[in-house]
Amino acid sequence: MKKINILLIVLSIVLLSSCEGFLDVKPSNSTDAETSILTAADAKVAIGGLMRKMASSDYYGRNFIMYGDAKGSDFAIASQGRGLDALYVFNHSATSNSYSGFWSQLYHNILQANNLIMNIEKIEADGKGSATLSEYKGQALTARALMYFDLVRLYGKPYNMDKSSLGVPLVLEPLEETAQPTRASVEAVYTQILKDLADAEPILSKAVGTVAVKGFINYYANKAVQARVNLAMGKYPEALAAAETIITSNKYTLYANDKWVKSWSTQFDTESIFELAVYQNEADLLTGSLGYYLLRKGKISGAMGWFMASDFYINRLKEDPTDVRWGIMDYDETSSTRFGSCLKYTGADLKGDKGFPSPVNIKVIRLSEMYLIAAEAAFSQSTPDKVKASTYLNAIRKRAPALAASTSTTVTLDMIIDEKSKELFAEGQRYFDLIRLNRTITFNDDFIKPAVIITHRTVSIDRTFYKAILPIPKGEMDANPAIASQQNPGY
Amino acid sequence: MKKTILFVLSLLLVNMVMAQMKVTGRVTSSEDGSPIPYANIQVKGVRGVGATTDLEGRYAFDNLSKDAVLIFTYIGFTSQEIPVNGRAVIDVSLATDALNLEEVMVVAYGTAKKGTFTGAASVVKNDAIKDVPTLSFENALNGKVAGVQISSNSGQAGSTSSIRVRGIGSMNASNEPLYVVDGVPVVSGNVSNMGNYTSSNVMSTINPSDIESITILKDAAASSLYGSRAANGVIMITTKRGKLGRTNINFKASVGITPSFATDNYEAASTEQQVEMYYENFWNADIYAYGKTSAVASTNALKQLNNRFNKHGYTFTAPDNTVKSLTIGGDRAGKYFDWESELMRTAVYQSYDLSVSGATEASNYYTSLSYTKDMGRSVINDFDRITGRVNLTQKAGKYVDFTTNINVAKSGKTGFNDSRATGNNYFLQSRNLLWGLYWPTDYVTGLPWTARYGSYAYNAVYYNNEWENSSKTLRISANEAITVNLLPGLTFKTIFSYDNTQTNDHIYYSANHFTGAGVGGSVSEMSATNTKLVSSSTLNFNKEFAKKHNIGVLAGWEAESNRFDYQRASGTNLATSVLHTVATAGKLDATAYYAGNSMLSLLSRAEYNYDNRYYFSGSYRRDGSSKLGPAARWGNFWSVAGSWRIDKEMFMTNLDIISSLRLRGSYGVNGTLPSSNDGWRTLSTYPNKYMEMPGGGVSNIADPILSWETSYTSNIALEFGLLDQRITGTVEYFNRDSKDLLQDVPISGVTGFYSTLKNVGEINNNGIEIELSGDIIKTKDLNWSLGITASTVKSTVTKLYSGQDIIWYDPTGDDARAKFIYREGQSTLALYGLEWAGVEDETGKNVWFLNNDKTATTTVDGRPATYRYQDATEVIIGNVHPKLFGGINTELNWKGLSLSLNFNYKLGGYTYDAAGRDVSDDGYYWERIMSQNQFDNRWTPENKTASLPQRLATDMEDVNQKSSRHMHKADYLRLKNVTIGYTIPKNITNKVKISSARVYFNGTNLWTLAAYKVYDPEVNAFGSRGWEMPLGKTYTFGVEFNF
Repeated sequence: MKKINILLIVLSIVLLSSCEGFLDVKPSNSTDAETSILTAADAKVAIGGLMRKMASSDYYGRNFIMYGDAKGSDFAIASQGRGLDALYVFNHSATSNSYSGFWSQLYHNILQANNLIMNIEKIEADGKGSATLSEYKGQALTARALMYFDLVRLYGKPYNMDKSSLGVPLVLEPLEETAQPTRASVEAVYTQILKDLADAEPILSKAVGTVAVKGFINYYANKAVQARVNLAMGKYPEALAAAETIITSNKYTLYANDKWVKSWSTQFDTESIFELAVYQNEADLLTGSLGYYLLRKGKISGAMGWFMASDFYINRLKEDPTDVRWGIMDYDETSSTRFGSCLKYTGADLKGDKGFPSPVNIKVIRLSEMYLIAAEAAFSQSTPDKVKASTYLNAIRKRAPALAASTSTTVTLDMIIDEKSKELFAEGQRYFDLIRLNRTITFNDDFIKPAVIITHRTVSIDRTFYKAILPIPKGEMDANPAIASQQNPGY
Repeated sequence: MKKTILFVLSLLLVNMVMAQMKVTGRVTSSEDGSPIPYANIQVKGVRGVGATTDLEGRYAFDNLSKDAVLIFTYIGFTSQEIPVNGRAVIDVSLATDALNLEEVMVVAYGTAKKGTFTGAASVVKNDAIKDVPTLSFENALNGKVAGVQISSNSGQAGSTSSIRVRGIGSMNASNEPLYVVDGVPVVSGNVSNMGNYTSSNVMSTINPSDIESITILKDAAASSLYGSRAANGVIMITTKRGKLGRTNINFKASVGITPSFATDNYEAASTEQQVEMYYENFWNADIYAYGKTSAVASTNALKQLNNRFNKHGYTFTAPDNTVKSLTIGGDRAGKYFDWESELMRTAVYQSYDLSVSGATEASNYYTSLSYTKDMGRSVINDFDRITGRVNLTQKAGKYVDFTTNINVAKSGKTGFNDSRATGNNYFLQSRNLLWGLYWPTDYVTGLPWTARYGSYAYNAVYYNNEWENSSKTLRISANEAITVNLLPGLTFKTIFSYDNTQTNDHIYYSANHFTGAGVGGSVSEMSATNTKLVSSSTLNFNKEFAKKHNIGVLAGWEAESNRFDYQRASGTNLATSVLHTVATAGKLDATAYYAGNSMLSLLSRAEYNYDNRYYFSGSYRRDGSSKLGPAARWGNFWSVAGSWRIDKEMFMTNLDIISSLRLRGSYGVNGTLPSSNDGWRTLSTYPNKYMEMPGGGVSNIADPILSWETSYTSNIALEFGLLDQRITGTVEYFNRDSKDLLQDVPISGVTGFYSTLKNVGEINNNGIEIELSGDIIKTKDLNWSLGITASTVKSTVTKLYSGQDIIWYDPTGDDARAKFIYREGQSTLALYGLEWAGVEDETGKNVWFLNNDKTATTTVDGRPATYRYQDATEVIIGNVHPKLFGGINTELNWKGLSLSLNFNYKLGGYTYDAAGRDVSDDGYYWERIMSQNQFDNRWTPENKTASLPQRLATDMEDVNQKSSRHMHKADYLRLKNVTIGYTIPKNITNKVKISSARVYFNGTNLWTLAAYKVYDPEVNAFGSRGWEMPLGKTYTFGVEFNF
């Protein structure tokens, strides 16, 4: 008996003393968020995570690029029912096809950027800052600016249409779960974007092509975003200056005509100012990737032919049958002579830039776009500089060798915009350009066989159409009653 | 003179009284005359004198008084008192104890007599489940226990089931009960890591033949000793032990076949009808929507058909421009491919069990070995399992008992995707995607057809050879216990249990398979180990005072630790299609991590009864869990209960008709832990690698004072027995309030997340449970008994965060296939969607009830309605919970023949048809096959009163809306099991030294009466049916021998 009593006492002592330790079981693959960014190495991990999240299918990985082209009339669909159709037919409502992924993914990414900026500022306040840490902060600020720029164009009216209208909620630090933010005005968002870009500019690296900046944001990417933003705001001199900073730095080179097609099979080529890396086992969307969506139906197993070039685009390219950009087009499912299928995201040989058709980097910002922005800004500023406009335009226009170069007298805005369409096809730009320029967009609906009547929009729209911008998703309105009364008109 | 006579007489008397004699005899069972070994015989009023019968049932007393009275007792039999009356040989025949109040049942941390237990518990014995061909015992419990609903998630072999005890008490945490095997909690549920590909039910590692009894603890008094995990009930499994007497060898073998499903399940229309519907789809669109002529419409429709099917060897013509003259021509005209026979087969289930058991006074053993193989209806679905068990109890000295229960089970499963994956789910493909016009070979070249079919299916004949999967589980559970009888009435018991399940999953796609094509073939190996260590020590004290007062006290502590280890190695770009291993891959990828949780508890219980008439009990348990933060870590759980044996009261003695009557009531608190190990931590995780460098970010917003979900249950019941226990029953009412429920509270997406977990909700479940059973006929040769269980559960959401509705979706298959809403005052399974008003007779269009203030374009039954679903508002359309559910069990025994029927039924409630939009799609999908139901019930100008709308190829999304169109009545009555058994008479079996032999036939799901006949009404726990494999009709033959 006594032995058992002793045993019991020993057991209970052991039990009580190891009590709390026994009940503290930490996860093996995560850390407490509060203490996860304490050094520059931690910040690097966070910025890598942010870049990866920007390559998500809900953003530059696919949907944002598709958005910019599906609605821009340079894309057409051959048959309904293949997915992402709702973008083309504008079948949006708060509850159905609201593409709420943009809202949730972008704000999730903005949280990561805000968290990183906040933690770096804490470290700097403790006196432990460094140049590397500042650089990460600059990258986060620029990324945040780009994301707000994309958000405000998705959900808010164009700056030059009504800048006092509602934009998107502006948050600059991590929020509590009880937060109920409301939409700031379009103008306020643009002001913050410009501020972030200006704050980041001096602390970013000017290196190009090094391991540290390939796949990340550098000074020139910041300038490029500034060019885009200023152009959208109609601030042409600023846009021109930003674009010229990049052009005159000579750190990037335009592709020669014989290298243009090959550039789509090359990672971090000479024009890439900001390229998001998509590796296998990382952001690779396999048969759901941007490349696969644009391949001709049945070209390879899994390709379903979701979008192809519209007649409008084909006719534009047909202006010069020797245009180098034909080299990246393949014939589409409608006929072996109609080259409407785009191979930019699989490479002309379907081997991408790493040997496989789906894990292909997304070239978010290229030098060609900077030339075209410079051309348009020079042309559109209050005292147009048509010499510059035509010089910059010709640098790209020469990719259609049979066409006569423009001159300062023959250059027109349409030439620049058409060139932009030809060059930046399937790069998520066309729709935003047409909206910014207040153009009518006419869709190639007669391309669909057999014919269907599209009920969700008319065959021609412009930026007064209420569905030109997306609705605030229903989930957001349900969870955030403060924003419920701020739904975009018409929805 | 008188004095002498008296003296002599008294001497004689004394002599007689003092006369010692030898008494012998034999004790047998009145049922079949077999001897009862180890029966106990006492002499009334005389201490220290007794005997036990030997293996032959024989006993002997050497020195017994002629007037002695002998008391014969044996467990399970009615005791008898027999006066010696001078007889030298007394043979006794004992009858089995029908008064099952004295039956001992296993309860939390001990045992209790059924007649005195103050909690609500139901017991199912092995006999009730032994003939059902099931891998895991829970499938055999259908309809046998009031208040318990068992639904299978899929008809695939080896899949998991869901059990709900008394409704649904949680929104975010688990609703599954706690499983306790031989006194210790065990790992339960799905252990496979292959997601939608397969679920591997770890409870199928327990061979149902090894189970002696299952006790289901339903109320707080019964289960609160399990505290923080018991809010959803506790299922206690007790495995077999040896029976006193000779060694018993038992051998069972059974084979079952399942040639077909139990009911229709989206049966497809014939190929000709499919083509007709297809033509009609486009023709209708052109005529009715675009106003074209029939010539144009026919040309377009034929063009669609030709575009899609010319490549398979068929051509189409319609000379009179209507569907009436539609003819299928071409090289393969008249021949269609039968995909059903390619993808499905007759399932075969085989099971072989061997057990050896026995017991003496000092030791008790039960060992078993079994092999089961279940080849499911899908050609690639297989499951096999070997289990071995040793249960041993050994007395060491006078005071100590050692018990060891060891179970080793190895199982392997090959499964397939049960979700709405067009490329992978063979059942979906056979009913919705594979046209008879598709062939597995190209009609021109004869080579295998490898391209994706236009309906998004793939050629299974070719691709089945290009992939494989398997899920292998090895489970070792060792349960060691020492019981020390310290003093009479004071026992110390300590149990240590090790429960280790290792699951290895393998999935391979060759470079030819559509999934592996982009990467040159892929193979993944996943290894997961679940280890549970439990150490539990209790001290139990029982004492009787003054013959009237009985006290029992239990105190103890328990520590539990769970650990989950996971590793995955994957490779792509494989060297050769012959080797399916990661080692041969060109590109490798791996991950590994571990997670766990632990718990410490103190437990105690006190019981008191007065004169075996009034019973009181109370329990208290304190749990601390690592799943909660330090601020909210410890919780208290308690219960109080009482019962009153009314039949023992004086005023009841004259009411002979009532043989037993007991009233019991209880109230208590128990809890449910959050499912996640780290729900209270705000974490940064690192899954976002970028350019082969680590990348991570903040992954959630958490509440540091996240806490238990608490359940307050009250229970009151009346147990009665009439006519000498010929009829017994229980009527019970329970009320379960669940508070502090975890909810994913929606938050603004601008915070970076769209929800966070908080304890805010409240749910109430209450209901009535009735269990009745009776012996209708009870004679020597013929026995007929009938039992009925009926339960109602009203399950209502009582409180939500800020009163805000929460819309949620059925998580099955990751498909958001049914839409529900949590709204205060409404059911916990309230279906939400548009209210469909049917089909307009004149036009064949869908009509929807508006349910809002917009202007109505039409009316139906006087209510405003519209043709555009976009204008209608979603409302609560139905409740999944039934009004009444339960089972009817009846058994007929005549001589050696037995017939038992086991029905289960459900009345009230609705099911949601998540596959309806695929097989009955109004023309939305331009290349899918439709169900016979769609063909028969679609609107045509000839059939204007049809229930389904006209098919038009205009991409109307009406059918894709969550609406009451897809909601159907759930009522059904199913003959779940019918068993016919014949025990071969003893005189024949004894000749070949077999002590008993039995042959039986069991039929499962043979007959179903359902309110809605298009698919099987036995749906999953959310009331929805999608593309998971349905249940089948199984015919099993078996034999059982005892040596």
